[in-house]
Amino acid sequence: MIDNFLAGTYALFGDPVSIGIFLFGVIGGMLFGAIPGVSMLTLAAILLPFTANLEPAQGVMLFAVLYCTGTYGGAITAILFNIPGSPENAPTAFDGYPMTQKGQAGKAVGAAVLCSAIGGVASALVMMAATEPLANWAIRNIGPPEIFALVFFGLAVASSVGARTIWKGWMSVLIGLLIATIGQDPVGGINRYNFGMIDLAAGIAFVPAILGFFAVSEIFVQAEKKATGKYNAPKVSMSFPSFLELWMHKFAVLRSILVGFFCGILPGIGATLAAFMGYGEAVRWSKNKDEFGKGKLEGVISSETANNAATGAAMIPLLALGLPGGALTAMMVAVFQMHDLQPGPLVFMLSPDLIWIVFAAMFYANLSILIIGVIETKTILNLLKIPFQFLAPLILILATVGAYSGRGLVLDVMVMFIAGILGYILRRTGFSIPGIVLGLILGKIGEQNFAQGMQMVHYDLGTYFSRPICTLLIVAGTLTLLTSIFKAFAPSKTRS
Amino acid sequence: MGRLTRTHLIEAVVWLGIICVFFAYSFEFNQPIEIYRFGATAWPRVVIGLLLIATLGNLYYHYKNGSVAQGGLFGAASDEDTVSIFSEGKTLIRMALVLFTPFLFAYLLRPVGIYFSAPFFIALVMVLFGERRWKAILIMTAVIYVIFIGLFLVVLNAQLPQGNVSPFYDFSAWMLKMNTQLRELW
Repeated sequence: MIDNFLAGTYALFGDPVSIGIFLFGVIGGMLFGAIPGVSMLTLAAILLPFTANLEPAQGVMLFAVLYCTGTYGGAITAILFNIPGSPENAPTAFDGYPMTQKGQAGKAVGAAVLCSAIGGVASALVMMAATEPLANWAIRNIGPPEIFALVFFGLAVASSVGARTIWKGWMSVLIGLLIATIGQDPVGGINRYNFGMIDLAAGIAFVPAILGFFAVSEIFVQAEKKATGKYNAPKVSMSFPSFLELWMHKFAVLRSILVGFFCGILPGIGATLAAFMGYGEAVRWSKNKDEFGKGKLEGVISSETANNAATGAAMIPLLALGLPGGALTAMMVAVFQMHDLQPGPLVFMLSPDLIWIVFAAMFYANLSILIIGVIETKTILNLLKIPFQFLAPLILILATVGAYSGRGLVLDVMVMFIAGILGYILRRTGFSIPGIVLGLILGKIGEQNFAQGMQMVHYDLGTYFSRPICTLLIVAGTLTLLTSIFKAFAPSKTRS
Repeated sequence: MGRLTRTHLIEAVVWLGIICVFFAYSFEFNQPIEIYRFGATAWPRVVIGLLLIATLGNLYYHYKNGSVAQGGLFGAASDEDTVSIFSEGKTLIRMALVLFTPFLFAYLLRPVGIYFSAPFFIALVMVLFGERRWKAILIMTAVIYVIFIGLFLVVLNAQLPQGNVSPFYDFSAWMLKMNTQLRELW
């Protein structure tokens, strides 16, 4: 492994063009992740056609680096503006934004820098050591029933996040699931809920929906505060967390690495569920549950470690099985295909150089988060000094480009602004925006895997539950649901 | 009525209405799928059914507890974020404009294109956010427009909506031509 890694390192840094592409990916991913309104997906969508002119290894490496650094960069906007750069950064905003409001933005961003780097590097190391055995294990043990069970568990956890009542938490997740049913059904390709619009047959793209629900609705919330004179400019602070503060959360970091890696390895789930589950587990194991959501450093640490720990793991199903785990890894499949390659077991035999350049690039990209991230953070924190009336139009214009660039449809821009209005109203009435978004992202994956699972077991629930991992996850999800049902009907413990 | 308020009832009626619309519309695609016993409607209808239960449960919660947030949940919006703003007519009009303007901008993208409409949109958003100094509006509009054009047109050469109505389309074509000439200089 070490020989291969060194060979990959040499191939990466021995060629000036590769170094240039690597640096472009690191800085571009961090910048696009950290600019409110656009994300790494925007940059990736714009860059996709240009990768045809690159060497296959350079093209795939660029996207892998963008994935690592963009996942970190999205945490900055989540913390500073309550606008997650990508869905995997949504739980970071739960505690990161309250920390900014308390004048602890530097501490939150500092923790995100360090934990993203730790999670990412750990994940890259495990990925290098274990891609082949893990892929073999996943092929044997993880099928559609297990993926559906994990989606069920993830949605059960998400229903208790971000809403004012447990009922609204469930409603939020279900609204997301309902929106996800728009477009062709994943089994028979029958058009559902397209209301006569041809463009809707492809479904609601999740990038415009996420931009609308998070970025645009946040602009509207701030506009409301401006209109009512309740707007308080966030305080800028550059104080990073001390070593002792971070050391106190070592178990949270370890737990999130495990959660992130486990979620990331499963095809189709990606880093989003990892971040939600990392955050959910942090709350579950904490003695001070009530402090979460009010600016607790552990909340930021848990979700940021988990989502970056998932980046390396997400490469395993992509490279070993040819199955993308999210939007960016799906674009990586397109990069492979542009060069007449097909990700899957054969890539390890036919293009080992490509694989090890990608592994080495991801390792160094995560390391560079630590170095460049600290420098960049000090600059980005100054965004908070820009008056919001100037920042708002910039975010809206960038979000417009971000929504349009994915599929080149004006409909997506409309969807984004409709989602923004909906998100604004739902936030004001106590619904959970992260719950809606997770439902939207996991809806189609859940339905597809449920259908495939049912076909696999010939509609026999006994066979379905004879699979231990599937049963374990369904039981865990059911217990989570039952606990929340108990909470919903128990003598009300409310907060004013 | 318990502790129910008119807002709770309106909220429930809206959700029940959405549930009815989606359920009724599900008959439009109620076709069997040969390879899948449950068909295309099973999943949406289960989601609709669960949404109905959650809506009624939410109504029951408000009946018992009013508007107070439930304890033991994390990451919820604070009460400060959910205060009513609709006590003043002026605020209501301003918020309506804030919500409507981006939607109008999106609607105009197809005929007018982004290159022509962006500066007007940027300036209008600033005004809606309370900026009244016209010099600041002009300078910041120019700065944001230059950032937008510089990043997406000049550096990344991104494909953006150009409009399909003259003279807006001609303006977009002129911008793209200038960009091509600039690139040729390099």
